[in-house]
Amino acid sequence: MAEMNVPESGAKKGKKKARSKKMSTRVDLTAMVDLGFLLITFFMLATTFNKPKTMEVNKPAKEKDEKEQPAIKMSKTLSLLLGNNNKVYWFVSPDEVNADTKLELDSVDYSSNGIRKVIQRRIKEVHEMWTDTTNLFVMIKPLPSSKYKNIVDILDEMTISNVKTYAILKPDDPVDSLVCLNIGQPRK
Amino acid sequence: MPKVKVPRKSTAIDMTAMCDVAFLLLTFFILTTKFRPQEVVQIDIPSSTAQIPIPDKDILMFQIAPDGKVFFGLDDQPTRLGLLDRLETGYNMKFTPKQRDAFRLTELWGMDVRDLPKYLDMDANARANAVQPGLKIDTTGGEHQLEDLILWSRQTNNNLRIAIKADKTTEYKAFDKVIEALQNRKVNRFNLITSAKGSKE
Repeated sequence: MAEMNVPESGAKKGKKKARSKKMSTRVDLTAMVDLGFLLITFFMLATTFNKPKTMEVNKPAKEKDEKEQPAIKMSKTLSLLLGNNNKVYWFVSPDEVNADTKLELDSVDYSSNGIRKVIQRRIKEVHEMWTDTTNLFVMIKPLPSSKYKNIVDILDEMTISNVKTYAILKPDDPVDSLVCLNIGQPRK
Repeated sequence: MPKVKVPRKSTAIDMTAMCDVAFLLLTFFILTTKFRPQEVVQIDIPSSTAQIPIPDKDILMFQIAPDGKVFFGLDDQPTRLGLLDRLETGYNMKFTPKQRDAFRLTELWGMDVRDLPKYLDMDANARANAVQPGLKIDTTGGEHQLEDLILWSRQTNNNLRIAIKADKTTEYKAFDKVIEALQNRKVNRFNLITSAKGSKE
């Protein structure tokens, strides 16, 4: 497809004298364009565009002595047990456990109508019960059968609902074991 | 009747502009590209609203497959070699120069540390296709391989950040074991790798 300068009109006949032939300065670019697009395709396919994001998690340092940790009023908290089948079991542990304490246990899903409503309602409750500046403390306790996605989801909910104080804990509270027994899922 | 002469047009098109565009795009892709790392296991990461981009270097990555296998990856080669030195002394092993070279190029691996020489002796193709059993997590015989790897990598490279990349469906059990090991080595801060959520519901 080398390009030629084809004169389209004009007096071509008369000027057909011994004139040195002018070479066209145009180069055939087809092959170059082909190569260019081939490389583009390669780099487009090889590249990772969507850079993954990260979520930073800080776990409390392990204390050697349990007593060093300050106790928190259970009525300022919300416990979330992450179970299997994408369910969250939530309850508020009583401040003191005795024979006739009743525990309200409910299960919701991870949608914006499920756990988010629960968290937001609980934030309001804590504000009403204590002062407006009291922060809700959420205890996230994943059961072994819960999925990794559930943890990411619940941490996400903390960000969305602007809960600053939360912790990922092991479900080793006496109340937790009762709840686990109730919902029929192993605790360990 | 005079013949109507249709002027013959050249079929060649001027390619200069197209060529310019092609090479502009090419330059862009060459400069922005970061090659997809080799994948030992397919991991489908969950999405979240987190917006912090993952740092470019000094990453220690644990990848957890859906079946709970844990894989270990360091992103830069000097750290990998440093870790190998520590493994040699710590586990009484000796690596040949060929094995060291293979380890230097291994982005992700998951097996008992003692099986490493055998794995590194394979040629590159066989290594890529080998099924790996996952890191040895249980601590039989007083060996804490996972914790050793964490400690020694961090001693080799002080700035190492720990990242955990797990599949959506990985059970918490496997995840917990890794965290446990990290905390035993006093690493209380780590990153969970997620993809950005397309649209908020």
